[in-house]
Amino acid sequence: MLERERVDFLDHTLTGRRSERLARPDVRDEFGLEALDMNMGPQHPAMHGLLRLILELDGETVVRCDPVMGYLHRCQEKIAENRMYPAVIPLTDRLDYFANLHNEHGYVLAVEDLLDAEIPPRAEAIRVLMSEIMRLASHIPSIGFLMLELGAFTPILYAFRERERLQNILEAVTGARMMFHYFRIGGVKADLPPGMVEEIWEYIEGLEERFQPDLVDLIQGSEIFVGRTRNVGTMTPEAALEMGLTGPPLRCTGVDFDIRRDYPYSWYDRVDFDVITDEAGDVEASYRVRVAECLQSIKIIKQILQMMPEGEVMADMGRRIRPAEGEGFGRVESARGSSPST
Amino acid sequence: MAITLPEGDLDTRLERYLEGFQGHFELEEHDAKGNALRIVVDPASLPALLAVAREELNILHLSFITVVDRQGSFEITYELLDLRGGRVIIRTTIEGEEPVIGTATRAYPTANWHEREAYDMFGVAFAGHPDLRRPYMWQDHFDHHPLLKSFEISTRRTFEGLR
Repeated sequence: MLERERVDFLDHTLTGRRSERLARPDVRDEFGLEALDMNMGPQHPAMHGLLRLILELDGETVVRCDPVMGYLHRCQEKIAENRMYPAVIPLTDRLDYFANLHNEHGYVLAVEDLLDAEIPPRAEAIRVLMSEIMRLASHIPSIGFLMLELGAFTPILYAFRERERLQNILEAVTGARMMFHYFRIGGVKADLPPGMVEEIWEYIEGLEERFQPDLVDLIQGSEIFVGRTRNVGTMTPEAALEMGLTGPPLRCTGVDFDIRRDYPYSWYDRVDFDVITDEAGDVEASYRVRVAECLQSIKIIKQILQMMPEGEVMADMGRRIRPAEGEGFGRVESARGSSPST
Repeated sequence: MAITLPEGDLDTRLERYLEGFQGHFELEEHDAKGNALRIVVDPASLPALLAVAREELNILHLSFITVVDRQGSFEITYELLDLRGGRVIIRTTIEGEEPVIGTATRAYPTANWHEREAYDMFGVAFAGHPDLRRPYMWQDHFDHHPLLKSFEISTRRTFEGLR
């Protein structure tokens, strides 16, 4: 057995490389200046959420960053350990409040795997439909947020107008605007309300028309946008795979990987869509990937609406869900990347 | 692009992975079902096995590391994805109150944070890890590992007898 070693915190950084500066604090550059350690957060006006970053600055450039993440740790695994299976779904909602149906989906897939449950086709179709609406409701504001960070205020208004309308659809279907609790073990909570298919279709048609002028023409190719995003934060495919990135950040480096196509779940093997990749790996590429993914989501939604089957939306799971001891597994492509649940 | 994603039929790929592992290590169990190859190994050979997976078999992605507290032993599962439909699930069991296992960060640098979290939540130490700090819980004055079964929370009583 190996001896447990006491790790000296100060001498190491996030990536595990020993910081040159901390090892030799007297090192200065040609102007006699030394790098500066700066604390950012946990509460900071430029930070979306509680996150503390310990930054090492060289002038205005961040050369190293060490995030301290515990401020938002809510011990969900421990709470889930002591709950019954259906009572965990509302917890999964709160993991990523901006795209929460994906989290629910991953969890219910894992429990259904454990139960070997058979899900009615209409429920599967509704799940894919709602997942894609959720993806739109997450990707479109992310474009707006990017522009907001760059100092342009208009795109966020257009983006949130769309999110608002998508939320209206989600509210009509699930009954809630943020914490949906819609996917259940064995199906979904409720069927689509009458006339909803037509309403979604109408909205999606309108979105397709508005998408190009509001969220692409206004932004893409703008000199200021290009100047601040091209070759900024460039990621190589090797580094992205080394870090274990998934989702749009991985695809914008050129690695062709999407859980929906490569590890299909629900009805994703029945719909036809393209996996979007981009070569550049910078911020502009990740914007382009998200834009193109929105259009693919629209394509998936249209296909699902056309082939929406009739029937039940909930399998008969009995009064209390008590799977035998074992393990189940589900993996979904969320708006941020691969999200496995065991 | 320097990255080569695997090609060919899924079943032959999984067979190739199994043969690749068997060429180097004694596998305690193995079984291929669906798109997943499950293998059980002893903890001593795990870092070397992951190195073989990354270098020789070119499995690019470590998806997650999970730990299960079996009260007396810990079951650690690594899942590797070849990004084209194949999964390799590697499982190992380590005994003891203060478990130690070799690190996976040399083969998969992404294991860095996974292992830090496993250490934080279960107290499983990863020998050779470059930076084994607690990412979530307090770094000082907190000697517990909250996902251990021995760590009880107050809501437990609420659900007792309902199961």
